[in-house]
Order: sequence, then C-alpha cells, then structure tokens
Amino acid sequence: MSSEAGPLLRLHPAAMVIGALGTIRRSVSATILPGVVFLFSQGLSPWTIALVLAGLVVVAVLAALWGFLSWRATAYGVVGGSFRLRQGVFQKSERTIPLEHVQSVDTVQGIVQRVFGVYEVRVETAGGGASEPDASLPALGRGATEELRRGIEGARREPVGAEEASGPEVLRRLSTRDLLVAGATSGQIGVALSLLAVGSQVFDEFFSEAFFRNLVDSLAPNALVLALILAPAVAVVAWLLAIAGTVLAHFGFTLSREGDFLYIKRGLLERREATIPLGRIQAVRVSEGFLRQPFGLASLRVESAGYGEDAGVSAVMFPLLPFDEVQALLREAAPEFAVSPTLKPLPRRALRRYVFRACVPALVLAATGALASFLVFDAAFGLLAVGLLPPFALYGWLRFRDAGWALERDRLVVRSRGLARTTAIAPRRRLQSRSVSHSPFQRRVRLATFLVELASGASGTAIEVTDLDAGTAEALARRLGPRGHPGGAA
Amino acid sequence: MIPLLAAGGFGSFALLRWADVSALFGILPALAVLALAVFSVFVAPGVRWRRWRYEIRSDEVDLQRGVWWVSRTLVPLARIQHVDTRQGPLQRRYGLSTVVFHTAAGANQIPELSTSIAAEARDRIADLTREQDEL
Repeated sequence: MSSEAGPLLRLHPAAMVIGALGTIRRSVSATILPGVVFLFSQGLSPWTIALVLAGLVVVAVLAALWGFLSWRATAYGVVGGSFRLRQGVFQKSERTIPLEHVQSVDTVQGIVQRVFGVYEVRVETAGGGASEPDASLPALGRGATEELRRGIEGARREPVGAEEASGPEVLRRLSTRDLLVAGATSGQIGVALSLLAVGSQVFDEFFSEAFFRNLVDSLAPNALVLALILAPAVAVVAWLLAIAGTVLAHFGFTLSREGDFLYIKRGLLERREATIPLGRIQAVRVSEGFLRQPFGLASLRVESAGYGEDAGVSAVMFPLLPFDEVQALLREAAPEFAVSPTLKPLPRRALRRYVFRACVPALVLAATGALASFLVFDAAFGLLAVGLLPPFALYGWLRFRDAGWALERDRLVVRSRGLARTTAIAPRRRLQSRSVSHSPFQRRVRLATFLVELASGASGTAIEVTDLDAGTAEALARRLGPRGHPGGAA
Repeated sequence: MIPLLAAGGFGSFALLRWADVSALFGILPALAVLALAVFSVFVAPGVRWRRWRYEIRSDEVDLQRGVWWVSRTLVPLARIQHVDTRQGPLQRRYGLSTVVFHTAAGANQIPELSTSIAAEARDRIADLTREQDEL
C-alpha cells in the first residue's frame, strides 16, 4: 500500500493527539489504576514513584505512536458519488457509503476538539448502524468540515436559484433560565440517585469506617435526626446532579431550520451539532412531565428513522417550552406535525379497567405485606398498604381521563399518560403497521387495544391506545390503511 | 417444557421422600405438570393453528392470530422492505417454513406454512411490494 492517500484527504493532525488521548483513556483501567494501587501499596519511596512515572511515560509514548500510525492510516473523501473512508493500522478497511444513503453530517466538539479548533465529524446513514455502519472522523478543521458537508449534502440538495443560503434560520433558543428550569423539573432524579449509590460505594473504599462513625456522631446524635438530615440531603444532591446533567447536555440549545433540514446545537463541555432531515421524521412527541405540567411546560422529541446512535432512536427537538407555544414552533420547524385537534375520549366502560390496572401494584403490595407481616410479626398490619389504594386509583383515573385520540388531515394524534402526559403525532403515511388486539376481558366489554408501529432506529417504536371501543379500533385500523391508487400514500 | 416436567417430577419426589404427606398428595405436582404437558403438546397447538389466519391483499397483508389474546395486524405492502423465508431443523423435517417480512419498524411473520406455500407467499409479497411506491 503506497503511503500517499491518493485522491483522499488526511485528517487534521490534531487527530493524532485525540487518538493518543483516547488510547490512554481506554487503557486507564489496565495501566494507570494498577500503577496507582502499586504506588500506594509499596509506600511512597522515590524508587517506586520513579518506576510508576517511567511506566506512565512508556504508556504515553506508545499511545502517541499509535495515534500517529492511526492518523497516517486514515484517509477520507468524496469520490465518484460516494463517501470513502480508509482506516486501520493492522487491519485495513475501506468503507464506501453511497451519497444517497447518507442521511446527515453531524459534528461533535468535545473539550479536546475545542482546544484544537477541530470537529469530530460523523456521517450518519439511515438504518442507524444496523446494516450500514456510520463513519466517524475524529478530527477535521472547520474548513475541511465545510468542504465535506458541501461535497456530501450539496450533491443532494437542489440549488435554490441564485439565492445563496445565508445559513439556517434560528427558530428557538433555550435561555439559561429555561435551561435551569428544565434541569430542575427533568425528573431524572432517579438516574442521579443511582449514580449517587454507585458513588457512595467508591466513597467507602477511600474513607475508613471510623471516620464515618465520627462524622455521624458529631453531626447527628441519634438515628432519627440522622435520617431526617440524610434523606433530604441525598435528595437535594441527586436533584443538583440532575440539573447539572441537563445543563451539560442542553446548554445553549438552538433549533434552526434551513429548507428541509433541522439543525440542533447543544452542549456545554461537548458541543454537538446534529442534523435532522424533515423527511425522516416519523413522529413528534409532546411530553408534559409530571413536574412540568403544573407550570404549563412541555418538551418536544422527534422519532426519526435511522438517525443517531447515541440518543438511540429519538432525539430531543426542544427541551423545554410553554405548552401553548408548541404548535407555533412546530408550524415553523416541522409543519407536517403541527396539528392539535380535539381528542376523542375513551368509552366510559374503560375507566373501570384503567383504575383496576393502576390499583394492582397496591393490591399486590398489600397482599404480600399482609402475608409477610403475618408470618413475621403475627399481625396483619401489612394490610395497611391498602391505604395506598386511593392515590393509585386516582392515578388510574388520570390515565383514563388523559387518554384520547384523533385523526385529523391524515395525522394520527394519540395522547396518553405514563408518568408524563405525552401527545404523539404521526402522519398516516409513516405508519408501518396497525394492530388491533383484545384479551377475553376486553372482548367481554367490546374494548380493544390499538397499536401502530413506527420506523425509528433499528427496532422501531409504537404508539398505543389501550381500551378503545372495539368497533372504533377496527374502523381506525381500516381508515389508516393505504389508499387505493398508487402514489396516494404520499 | 422439559424443565417444567423435571420440576414437576422432582417436586413430587421431594414431597414423597421428605415431607410428611400422603402418597396421593405427593403425586399432585407431577400429575399437574403431566396434564399441562399433554395439553400444550396435543391440544393447544391445534387450537392455535386454527386461529391463525393470513390474507395477502393487493395493498396490504392481514394477519390474525391468537386464542386468548386475539390480535390482528395490518401491514401495508408499501412499508415492506424485504421478505424472507426461514426454516429451522425441526421445521425442515416436516416440510414447513416461516415467512418473515420486514418493515422499517421490525419484522412480522407467518409461521409454519408448508414450504411451497411459504415460497409462494414470499414471492407474491415481493412482487406486489415492488409495484408499490417506496417510502
């Protein structure tokens, strides 16, 4: 293999450093941690310090060498109607992606990339990596990125006469205040709590138990006070972590549109720039989280076919905005999804089933609690869990009340409540399949479950209405079928 | 099925050997599992088979299945990306195949058709799909 790249281009030299850093980071567990452990176990004599430092230097040199070799082995370009990427030091590979299969060219800028002023460029294809893996270029300068974008996207977009696009038009920007509100109401406390739980285990290894006991003894004289202090403290820390996570992910969130493409810029440390072709959006979900709904706030997500590998199959279109402004934003960003018809409610006889389903966990809890308390304490105070029934029943009633559907101008709109109240909007032509199913209990009261599948990522996603009138469900399934004449499905 | 039978057998054995129960009571788990086995091998498949229906129309495929949980799925031909037939070793012995058709949202299937009919169904869906507009 000759050393020159031919018609293909090399990456920015910063790729060497980024590659080296990546290698070091990947090998941390294998090299640095044992080194540190070794250091502490042998005592901090100059000899062991020197040894560990020498080891670190060796690792750094090897990583730098690998970074250089990788850089030299990587080349990319747009050749003859497709994107080519050649890489691999020992195992050489050449990937060819026809330009028609390229869905978007996204950039990500981590801290390291920002230091060097380069971008990590990801060429995304439809199918989300299932059949045709995406291609990723670790470091390209701004000019090279623009060139590549023009080379790939320019070939697909029709030139709009002499109108030189002055750039995408910004539709909405997330203010810092809204960002903090989004973090505070994100309901991601669960994730933060589990992170704290993991973190506390690491904590245990570094601080001795005596230290903890002293700390606890000085702060909280008895167990009750301790619990009263600790529980809210943990909750507050988890809440702050949730806010921090949101800030990191959505700082400076900007939604713009140019022609048939939506552009999303976001991120604090790692700056992401993503493209969503309007033609690939399968559905839009308006989500009113249970912490946000009281304030009239909502968030928008898009379900996109074969887009993005990190956020999975759906992407945040806008993290937080007043519910009343959703339609206006959709009209500008994705007009196909800007409908808000009056929703048809579920039949009255479905209420009993919704409430029953919601109460089941409470009943199970009461039963097992009663059994356990009876066996252990010889008293049935586990039955007190029955006191949980009213809130669960109320939740079931809320789920029934918030459920609704409508078919307006060829768009299916379905609202439901999980923890958050979600309204899903999907055009008829995007539906991959419709299903009507019923259990014997549903059959007895002429109810059915209606489900449509959407193309989203590798495995698809679904929109479901439970306990619809059976006749209505069948009629809806028929109405959503393909029209008779060819091209009518468009 | 086999683990269930083993569990039932072992349960009976354990009860008879170690617990202080009458022989009649101890045999119950094994009997119950045996009844379940007879049911699921001889009775259930027949019922399930009779409730499986499919229809390939000119614009969509209609699948109806289920005994307890009855389900009907309509898949427009325009959404079908590709059609396969699949055959496991047990199926091969009885000359059966499964037709699997993929949409962008996943796969649907018509199981346990005779191989020739499965091939026919696959080709018919493929032909009809080709005539439709692409997504």
